[in-house]
Order: sequence, then C-alpha cells, then structure tokens
Amino acid sequence: MRAWDELIWRCASRRREKIGPLSDQAFEELLLAVREDFEAFVDHDEDRAGLIVARALDAYRESCRDDDLLDDETFEKHRTARLAALHGECVRAQELCENSLDARLLAVLSEDPAPDQLLESLLGLERSFSGDTPPAGDAWDDVLYRPHLRLRAAVARTCLDTAHVRMAASAALSVMDASPTDPLGARNTYLLACARLEDEPAFDAALARFSHQESAWSHLARVLLLYKLGRMNAARRALHGYDELCRGGAYALLRPTYVEIYLPERPEVAPCSLEECALAVREAEPIIADAPDFIGWCQGFDWLVESAGRFAEKNDLDW
Amino acid sequence: MAHDAKREDYQRLSLRYALELDKSGATDAARAFAAFGRRFAQNRDSLPQSDADRAFHLVALATEVIDYRLPFASDTQAEALIRRGRDLLDEAVSLDPSCWDALRMLAATRSASVDERYGYLVEQEDNVRAACEAERDRSLEELGLERGALGASIAMRPYWRWLASMAEDALICGRNRASIDAAERLLASDPSDLSDVRFTLAYALAKLEDEKGLNELASRYESISPLRPADDAWILLARCAVAHSLCNYPAARAMLVRLLESYPGGAALLVRQGELPDGEFARLRVPPYSEDELVLAVSEGIVLLQEGNDRSGRGVFGHWVANTVSELDPEAAKEAARMAKDKGASTS
Repeated sequence: MRAWDELIWRCASRRREKIGPLSDQAFEELLLAVREDFEAFVDHDEDRAGLIVARALDAYRESCRDDDLLDDETFEKHRTARLAALHGECVRAQELCENSLDARLLAVLSEDPAPDQLLESLLGLERSFSGDTPPAGDAWDDVLYRPHLRLRAAVARTCLDTAHVRMAASAALSVMDASPTDPLGARNTYLLACARLEDEPAFDAALARFSHQESAWSHLARVLLLYKLGRMNAARRALHGYDELCRGGAYALLRPTYVEIYLPERPEVAPCSLEECALAVREAEPIIADAPDFIGWCQGFDWLVESAGRFAEKNDLDW
Repeated sequence: MAHDAKREDYQRLSLRYALELDKSGATDAARAFAAFGRRFAQNRDSLPQSDADRAFHLVALATEVIDYRLPFASDTQAEALIRRGRDLLDEAVSLDPSCWDALRMLAATRSASVDERYGYLVEQEDNVRAACEAERDRSLEELGLERGALGASIAMRPYWRWLASMAEDALICGRNRASIDAAERLLASDPSDLSDVRFTLAYALAKLEDEKGLNELASRYESISPLRPADDAWILLARCAVAHSLCNYPAARAMLVRLLESYPGGAALLVRQGELPDGEFARLRVPPYSEDELVLAVSEGIVLLQEGNDRSGRGVFGHWVANTVSELDPEAAKEAARMAKDKGASTS
C-alpha cells in the first residue's frame, strides 16, 4: 500500500472539492504543494488518521530491514514488538477517526489473530462500512474507496485460508468486478479458489478476462486444478510450465518459507519471481495440504527437484 | 446395509449348492438344504465350490483379520495379523487371479500412498467392470429368475466395492469431482446402495461446498434407502460443514443439534474427532445410529474437519465443531479429555 501517495491524493481531492473545479494542471500543482507541506493542508480527521497510519507503516517497514540477520527467537521478539507498535498507532488513528477504514483494517491485521477470528473481525468491519456505495467506473480510481477494496481482498484471502472457499471466490470476484484492472490481484485468490473447487470453466474464464496474463498464482493454481481433476499428463505439463516460467518456483514449492502477514496488501514483487512464488505457495498452502499426496507427486519428478537444487545452489540458499 | 464378507461367503456357497441340487434332481431338497448349514460350518470343503468361491472365503477370513481384529491389536500382535492377512489375500489371488477384492485389498498394503492406490483402481476399473458384468450375465443365465437376482448381485459386488474404494480414495486425495463421479457410477449400477456410497458422496459434495447437490442427495434418499432417512451422521455432518463454509453459523449449529439427536451420547466423539483406518474390504459393519457409526463418520469426516489454517491444529471446521459441541454439552468436553488421557495412557 502506497500510503503517502494515497494520502496526498485524498487530501488534494478534498481541497479541490472545497475550492471548486480545477484544471488537470492546476490539480497537479496542488498535489505538489500538498506533497511539500502535507500538514499545512490536512484539515480532515480521516487524513490526520491517515498520517498516523502512513508514518506507522514507514516505521514498521524500516524495522523489517535486518530480519535476515536475526536468529528465530530474536526475530520473533522483534516481530511481536513491531506489530504491537503498528497496532498501537492504528488504534490511535482509529480513535481519532472512526471512519478511517485503513486504520481499522490495519488495527485488525496487526493484532495477528487466529485465522478464524481474523475472518470474523474482517466481516464485522465490512458490516460496519456496508453503507458506503462503490463509485461508478473503476472503483480503484476513487482513492477514497480504495480501503474498501483492500478490505474485500483481505476477506477473500482470509476466506481461502480458512476453507470458506466459495466465499473466497465470491469476495475476490466482487473486487474484480468493482475494479476491472484489479491492481490488488484479487484474481490470484480467485484462481486458487477455482483450483480448490475443481472448477475449470471458472478458472479459464478468469484467465481470459485478464488476457491470459500469467503469474505464480495462475501457474500453481493450474497444476493443482489439473492434479485434482486427475488429468495427470496435463498436470505434469503445467508443473513443468510453472518450473520453467517462474524463477525459483520449484524451490518455493519444495522448500516453503515463512511469509509475513500482509499489511494490508500483498507486497509488490516482480511477476513470476521467487518472491511471488513464495507468496503464491503460502496462499495455496491450505489447498496443497488438502491434497495430501500432491507434494509427493511433485517430488517424484527428478527435473523439478534438480531445478530447485540448482536454483538453491546458484542463489546460496539452503537445500 | 454395508458389505458383510462372511454372509456373502455363505450366500455364494448356498447358491452353488442349490444349483447342484437342481442338477442332481434331488427329491428331498428341504432336507438337503438343512444339511447345508451344518456342512458350511463344520465341513466346508465337502461342499461344491469353485476356485473363485474358495478365494472369496480367504478374502472373508482376511477381512476378519485386517478390518475387525487389527484395529484392536497390540503392536506385537499387529505384525502377525498383517502378515496373516496378506498371506490369505496372496493365496486368494493364486486361486483366482481375478479375485478383485483380494487384489484391491493387496493394493492398499502395497501402495506407497493413497494416490498410488487410487491410480491402480482407476487403471483397472474397466477390467473389473467387464469381468463382473460377464459373471453377472452368466449367473442370470445359469440361475434363472428367482435366484438370479442374488447371483447377479453377488457377481457385481466386487465391482461395487471397487467403485466405493475409488470414491473414498479420491476423497482422501482431494479429488472431489472424481469421488462424486465414482459414487454416482456406483449408485447407477446399484441403486439400492449396498455400499452406502451416498455417505462418501455427501462428503465429496460438502468438500465442493455444493449446498444444492447435498439437498438433492438428501431428497434422493427416499428411493435409494427407503428405510433409512437422510439423518445419518455423514449427511448431517456434510450439511453442517457446508453451512459453516458459508459462515451460516446458526444453520451449522442446528445441524450439529440434529446430529446429536440422531446419535445421543456422541458429543464426546465429536469433540475428540479421532481417526481410525478405513476398512479394507469395505466400510466396517456397525449398527445404524450407534456410537460406532458416529466414530466411522467422524473418522471419514477428517477431510472436512481438518481443512484450513487453524492454530489449534484441528482444522477450522474441526475447531468450530469441538467448541460448539462443548457449548451444547459441557460434559462432552470433559469426557473427550478423559478419553484422550486414557488413550494416551494405553499407548504409552
């Protein structure tokens, strides 16, 4: 989440509403002015809350920098402390402005509750904000509505994580419908849900909707889908495709690593990179566990195991 | 219903015996038949039988060992029982190379994974069906109308059990559409569902969160099993799981209440959620609505209970079921804890 950019946009948009219509150029200048001296323009509690959140997220990200150097115990301590700090700030922001959905969403997420409790809290938040109607056109273009899309995408992912698969699919679909460009990547959750529900027509339709643009999720979901449908030759080819087209994909699948919770969105990573594969494997984890022999089947292919080993060696990773 | 290997063994020989009596033109059939029971029990080898009948008898013995004695055996006994079961099955196959039950049961012990055995079952399905159907046609021709129905049923049963195993294995492997497909083919072949495959079908539909499909299945019960309404543990747990997956907690809770009404005294089992090995011959025979039946349904229901990320390690639905049942019946939680402790003490 680009909290600062959105905050500046929101603040400038509110100012524009107050002073009347502006040309595009004038609005660009207003944006620059807000960026220069943000605090001079803030006159709305929701933006004051946004400021607290943006600073808290900066502090959180800054504190993640040296994680790789820590042992498990120290890492756990650091993690708990920084999540608690973020949570404290988000609660402060929420107290300042009850309507700040970003603050409330982050307050829920940073508490890192058990998955089923997380889902309950997220659905509760949705009920509290159900009065806000989506704007016409691509809802992502309305910066004031973006928090709703983020919440809905989080609901979709949490549903998938907690085996509420049809709900995951319908929540993800509603994000895709509200914002057809889908910058939040709700389609990735949707593709995984289709795999779990063994729904090939829905999987194909979703891919076609996004011009067959592939990702670590689409490749992995296809393997799972075909495996579950018992189309083993096609599944093997899909696994080969995943291995060929996702850098480090085999490694990510055979050596799943810890993935931090999303605050509040997936981190931005390169398409089909090792990092993206790690996210996809983490999100697919309940589906993989539900097909208990799937990983064993993957490991049965020497070329996959060798590919993972080569990748590990080249990148100095544990194998 | 459910499959009963001992009874089937008896039925096979009695049919063969009746056929022999017809051929010999025996005048005192009633008396001859009275002697059958005694000979079956005391001097089985003196009865007319084919190699297939002998092989099936060995399957019945192996079933007793593997399905009914092994689960209660100590570790030291277990090894001997497994060996004995395998020897019986090997002998069955050497007597009758198309003893499908023995081949299927052996595949379970020889496969490295459920997936591997499922693959074997899929591969062989057409052969099994063709062989069983040919045997059925022969039976109908040989036995005539009256006895033909039983003969045809006996001829088809190995194929029915084959499909029932396929449906169950597919469910365990996460291939839910394949499970539904196998179950529907079995119901088409055996509409009165001797295998109770509709229970497996209910779980596979629940895995796909197919509420409509489950409702349709419940309404088909009347024609499939007129004597047993849709209130068995499988369909109720399946409907509960679907309501839960849709976050319809009041409906899910109402299903749990119905489940506890169908199985009074079963609350602790629902809290504990134990798992036991599936019957290799077929689903174990237990009295309807007994605690044992609930044990089977919960054990097969692990696929529903243990899905999803959950910090208790039970799975999301399993965690919810345990909590909700404990609320509905606070004593159940204590009893489940006692059961777990006893189990721990006996295995340590």
